Amino acid sequence: MKFFAFHLMPWDRLPEDFSEKYDTAWTWLPNEIFDPEHGGELYNNYLDQLVLADQLGFDGVCVNEHHQNAYGTMPSPNLMASILARQTKNCRIAVVGNAIPFYDPPTRCAEEFAMIDCISGGRLIAGLVVGGGPEYYSFSKNPTFAREMYREAFDLIMRAWTEPGPFEHYGKHWKLKYVNPWPRPIQQPHPPIWIPGAGSRETIQFVAQRRFAYMGIPYFHMDFFQRNFDMFRDECEKCDYTTDPEQLGWLLPIYCAETDEQAWAEYEPHLWYFVKKLLKGLVVFPPGYTSARSIAGIQKGLKQFMSTCESREDIEAGGYAIVGSPDTVRQKLSERIKRLGVGNLLGLFQLGTLPHDMTCKNMKLFAEKVMPGLREELDVTLSS
Amino acid sequence: MKTENKTLNIAGKKTQLTILGEGPPLLYLHSAGGETEPIAFHKKLAEKYTVYLPAHPGFALSEGLDQIQDIHDLAWHYVDLLGELNLENVPVVSYSLGAWTAAEVKLIRPDLIGPLVMIAAAGLHVDGAPMEELFIDNFDKLRELLFFDSKSQQSIDHFPSDINDPRILMWLRAREATARVGWNPYLHDPKLASHLHRLSGPVQVIWGRHDKLIPLAHGEYYAKHLPNAKLTVLEECGHMVPYEKMDEAAEIALEFIASA
Repeated sequence: MKFFAFHLMPWDRLPEDFSEKYDTAWTWLPNEIFDPEHGGELYNNYLDQLVLADQLGFDGVCVNEHHQNAYGTMPSPNLMASILARQTKNCRIAVVGNAIPFYDPPTRCAEEFAMIDCISGGRLIAGLVVGGGPEYYSFSKNPTFAREMYREAFDLIMRAWTEPGPFEHYGKHWKLKYVNPWPRPIQQPHPPIWIPGAGSRETIQFVAQRRFAYMGIPYFHMDFFQRNFDMFRDECEKCDYTTDPEQLGWLLPIYCAETDEQAWAEYEPHLWYFVKKLLKGLVVFPPGYTSARSIAGIQKGLKQFMSTCESREDIEAGGYAIVGSPDTVRQKLSERIKRLGVGNLLGLFQLGTLPHDMTCKNMKLFAEKVMPGLREELDVTLSS
Repeated sequence: MKTENKTLNIAGKKTQLTILGEGPPLLYLHSAGGETEPIAFHKKLAEKYTVYLPAHPGFALSEGLDQIQDIHDLAWHYVDLLGELNLENVPVVSYSLGAWTAAEVKLIRPDLIGPLVMIAAAGLHVDGAPMEELFIDNFDKLRELLFFDSKSQQSIDHFPSDINDPRILMWLRAREATARVGWNPYLHDPKLASHLHRLSGPVQVIWGRHDKLIPLAHGEYYAKHLPNAKLTVLEECGHMVPYEKMDEAAEIALEFIASA
């Protein structure tokens, strides 16, 4: 069982009248709201939190890429990962991931990931993603080509890491006379690959066939994760092998305090800032991003999305976030990790307005009072 | 009214074609809204003409979107289709995405298209008159954007209200096929403006005064830069001209074609 601290690097100062005045925290939210001085403080706090995760014994830290939004102000996770490659000593650095259709050419991702792998001494986990729906608006990238660009970029990056260069690549979306990236990664033949998914069968099959790791996209009801992870295990069986739990990851918000009451009292305003403001507009499916049938299906599945929650009871019933004393958090996680059969827990310990000191306290309690017990209990369970 | 439904094979692309009415041929090129089933506007045209109403690749039951990379591929598709139908110098009534397509077809094969009616045409970028965002999924906002009166009966009848609408799969397909050619550059061809002087045939441009998706300035630009064009502006009308001003628009189109 592996424990990761996941960071979005969210914006914590949306205006008071945000809910009335703005339809979304994405793409069209005026960037005047971003205050660079305060942004600098936030970035430094957020990096401190991830360095702390390393010191606390987390197995890894996760950063990710988003553009033109308040939900995650990390357009280049590779910049953050390269700082972490220096400032952390032991933990894995998972970039989940680079939105490779936006890298022109995508070999840029192969190069930058290789740099991070070298600097960190081979601690990189390489996440490769299609990019979120809103980002196809932010970059004016044609979403009807999203999937084929992703596949072309993916195969090109894998070749760049595994085949001696220079070689030619004449694909549909990129034409490269010389592919020959310097540097190459320490980890051979390439760093571990993580791919996040929202439950589309195409992605699940793609990951299962190649024996990579599938990360469940967060903020959905437990039942939705269950369905997707079961589908993944079935697809692995179809490829004649049994899923290693470490091929599955589950990302969710976690908050630990001394008692259940205290945890909810401290956490709730921050949780609602996240749910009602930062998530607003995250779920957008531009045309052709996935098939018309999938879009219609996912739109209906959004009834199981966290932003539909109105109360603490809704959050708890759907397992959208785990909140409570270390004992409560441990017990709930144990039960759900076993049920979902996942080998990587990706905790979101900071989700917007949660202050730096409370985030650090949350992570410390988790690392000291939850993680060791879960490790002991689940390593036995999962490997048996 | 005489109606015939056909499925054509156009260079490997399965293409839905509806043929409506009797008389000399007329080609109708539809908008991003995908009016591929006969609407009242088509029927009006079909009182005088045999209206050929093909569905663009990716719309309705037409396939072959995988062979369309941009507006030029779509234009070549119509070169093939007109060849298959043995049509030359055919009058064309075209609307929005279809009007942009018609202009591109006439550029590469001027003899195929005769008198041309362009209604609320996409295709240009006009400084100071940006087109609004069509690719949103809030149906109420879209209705506001497209109709002069978003509460009108046409607006309710001709536009889905939510994701549970039975027309939604077709609507999503239409949206995808439009995005394929119109996402970037956004609903225009940067080179089209510099070609307009080569489109020398007679053109009737029709625009709604209150078009919020493609502002009237685009109609004025077309009318000013096409060598032989006339602009007619319809009052109390948004982007949805064939629905909101069905009779007037059809009359203008028919008169223009008859006199051209």
